[in-house]
Amino acid sequence: MTASRLSGWNSLLLGGLLAASPVWGDELAGPRYHVQGFVAQGLIGTTNNRFFGDSRDGASTAFTEAGLHGTWQALDAVRLSGQVLYRHAGESDRAGLRLDYAQADWQFYQTEVSQLGLKFGKVKLPYGLYNETRDVPFTRPGILLPQSVYVDASRDLLLAAPGVFLHGASVQRYGAVDFMLGWVRPNFNSESVEYVFLGRARPGKLEGTGAVGARLRWDLPTETTLMLTYADATAEYTPASADSLAAGKVNFRNVLATVQQRLDTLTLTAEYGEPRGNPTGFGAALPDNARTAQAFYLQGEWRFRPAWELMLRHELFYRDKNDKNGMQFQAASGLPAHTMFARDLALGLRWDTTPNLMLRAEFHHVDGTAWLPGPDNPVFLSREQRWNMWLLQAAYRF
Amino acid sequence: MTHAHFLSRRLLFLTLLLSPLAASAGIIVNPDVQGRSISVATLRNIYTLRQTLWPNHQPIVIFVLPDDNPVHVAFAKEKLGLYPYRLRQTWDRMSFSGMASAPIQVKDENEMRERVRATPGAIGYTSKDTVYDGIKTLRLE
Repeated sequence: MTASRLSGWNSLLLGGLLAASPVWGDELAGPRYHVQGFVAQGLIGTTNNRFFGDSRDGASTAFTEAGLHGTWQALDAVRLSGQVLYRHAGESDRAGLRLDYAQADWQFYQTEVSQLGLKFGKVKLPYGLYNETRDVPFTRPGILLPQSVYVDASRDLLLAAPGVFLHGASVQRYGAVDFMLGWVRPNFNSESVEYVFLGRARPGKLEGTGAVGARLRWDLPTETTLMLTYADATAEYTPASADSLAAGKVNFRNVLATVQQRLDTLTLTAEYGEPRGNPTGFGAALPDNARTAQAFYLQGEWRFRPAWELMLRHELFYRDKNDKNGMQFQAASGLPAHTMFARDLALGLRWDTTPNLMLRAEFHHVDGTAWLPGPDNPVFLSREQRWNMWLLQAAYRF
Repeated sequence: MTHAHFLSRRLLFLTLLLSPLAASAGIIVNPDVQGRSISVATLRNIYTLRQTLWPNHQPIVIFVLPDDNPVHVAFAKEKLGLYPYRLRQTWDRMSFSGMASAPIQVKDENEMRERVRATPGAIGYTSKDTVYDGIKTLRLE
């Protein structure tokens, strides 16, 4: 989404956010607003493949994130919130400034310990633990989110979309439960998403027609979090005038299970998903091919000092759970088998220098290229199976 | 209570015994808030943004000191049984996703007392169980 495509209503909200100062409103008893934000710059170096810019055998500075977030409690039961995001991530994301989301939340039922509400607008999509705040560096377990589950290549699809969600929450003796259930018009209209579902950037237009999403979260009194996310989305392709693809359809559905256990200064997290993509009706150039992928990671975070945290993560991603090593794919397509899987071992260090400043360092050893960003590595045959990546990031919040 | 939970409480307790920063924080509220005491569970639900209304359905307005303020650190660990960084994680998750407003951060205890005194439905904390004019102190049970 580019700034020029913002509707009048969106621009108004955006303008309002930018005009507000980063403090709570002073009318204590009246309406309240709050503005917060962040700026982050990364440095990335890789061997053999590229990630977010010209990182191979050098250092890429093409990873910048900045956000301005605003909330206005217009009425006791109505809250408006939105975020303006600037993001640059190599060739994969050059869109710069965009409206990330803008939603109204009406809590039509409230008791002391339970709420039921309806949120609508361009809403944040519930997906696993980290998706709704995936661009806020402080909320991530590392500089990069687990790429198996939160694939940055299809982030446009997962971020936010126009639609409506019913949500509820209640805290009881057995813990806190909350749910979300809704319908959106998903955003398939990006180059990276075309790489994921159509193999590469295509001349025609892939547009989301509808999606249902649901998430159930249960925080137990034992400091355990259990979560289940479900999503089912459909998109239609309109071919360009000279296009090798016919007017096909893409269906995408995903089930994601999450477990987190917090033990004093230790946090153990695992998420497992089986995303399934099903392109149909594209003609001979892209045969019908339903594939179920497998995504999993296990992660430990240890706050060994109040301001220091160590992170260790192992993750697996198979684009076809019935062809994990990619040999069938290679035999059929002639393309490298390693584009069908990725196993990543990552080690990260976080230092909260002050409450406003965070510094991070991270190292990845990756076997496979399944989640390598397409636009940064357009030539399939020059991708290499084994590669390393180090990252540094400084993030400031206000 | 499970064993894991019990253990984490024990560790927190030990940390506090060894910490010179530990102060006995008092829970303060605006005088229009009803009641004389508050349970640990309710306090925790309020500060993790799960309870948003007082029993008379008045909205709760939460005040906090900066994350590295010793009084905040003591309050988080001693009264809530949570590390300040875990509270911040919860507030960031809820506020940046638009699901809740983060607590209002004040710069010091003086501002904390002024804002709690002036704000209907306000809750906050101070380093001492002192009685202040125009502020109600709640007993923690």
